[in-house]
Amino acid sequence: MNRRNFLSLGLGALAVSMAPSTLSAINFRETKPKAWTATKVDVAMKEVFGTTSTTKGKVKLKAPDIAENGAVIPVTVSTKLVGSKVAIFQDSNPESTVAVFTVPENGIINYSVRIKMAKTGTVTAVVESNGKLYSSSKIVKVTIGGCGG
Amino acid sequence: MAKKTRIKAKLKKGIVTVKAMANHAMLSYQEAEKAKKEVNFITYIVAKVNDKIVYEVSTSQFLSKNPYVKFQFRDGKKGDMVEFKWTDLKGNTQVSTGKIK
Repeated sequence: MNRRNFLSLGLGALAVSMAPSTLSAINFRETKPKAWTATKVDVAMKEVFGTTSTTKGKVKLKAPDIAENGAVIPVTVSTKLVGSKVAIFQDSNPESTVAVFTVPENGIINYSVRIKMAKTGTVTAVVESNGKLYSSSKIVKVTIGGCGG
Repeated sequence: MAKKTRIKAKLKKGIVTVKAMANHAMLSYQEAEKAKKEVNFITYIVAKVNDKIVYEVSTSQFLSKNPYVKFQFRDGKKGDMVEFKWTDLKGNTQVSTGKIK
């Protein structure tokens, strides 16, 4: 190996190691403003991930079957996949997107949040892993709406 | 918005579990209209340990009032400080810290 090759190799490695740090710290509110006003899950998904084709499974979505109080619905998304992005959508509120997580390098995907839902609807969690999307959905029955409904 | 975010961070088998509860009204557009208050909700949360991002999320108005989040990460040490920062729609930010136990 001559010196020139060696140098470019080093630069390449440096670029790779720098990439994750620049990739994280994304405020999706600023970079993808349209995703937050989308009223359909498909549209929102397309805005966030650029595609809507997802594979079912491999993602665990934990949510109650019946939520007595729509204002506080605990939702947990977990997966063993090495993902880069995780998003939660639902179809009962005026807008679809609830949250978009950026998974840090070496991160563990096991996120819990509490969300609001106006009425009975489907919660969908999508995990992006190696350019592929994996999803899981669950219907949550809401008896008392939490979004002013 | 004087109340700080409550943070609990615990180290177990190399994995740190953080539970945090931010203090925020999280008024969605509909709710704000009803209550005749201004719309405001947390839009972005980031948590760091030793200046390394361990948790990051962009959120919408559909998180519950006083949002509670739980997450896990590796490479944490006892005594390290978890820095938890949120930003809301009006541009307010709040930084709270919690020690890993």
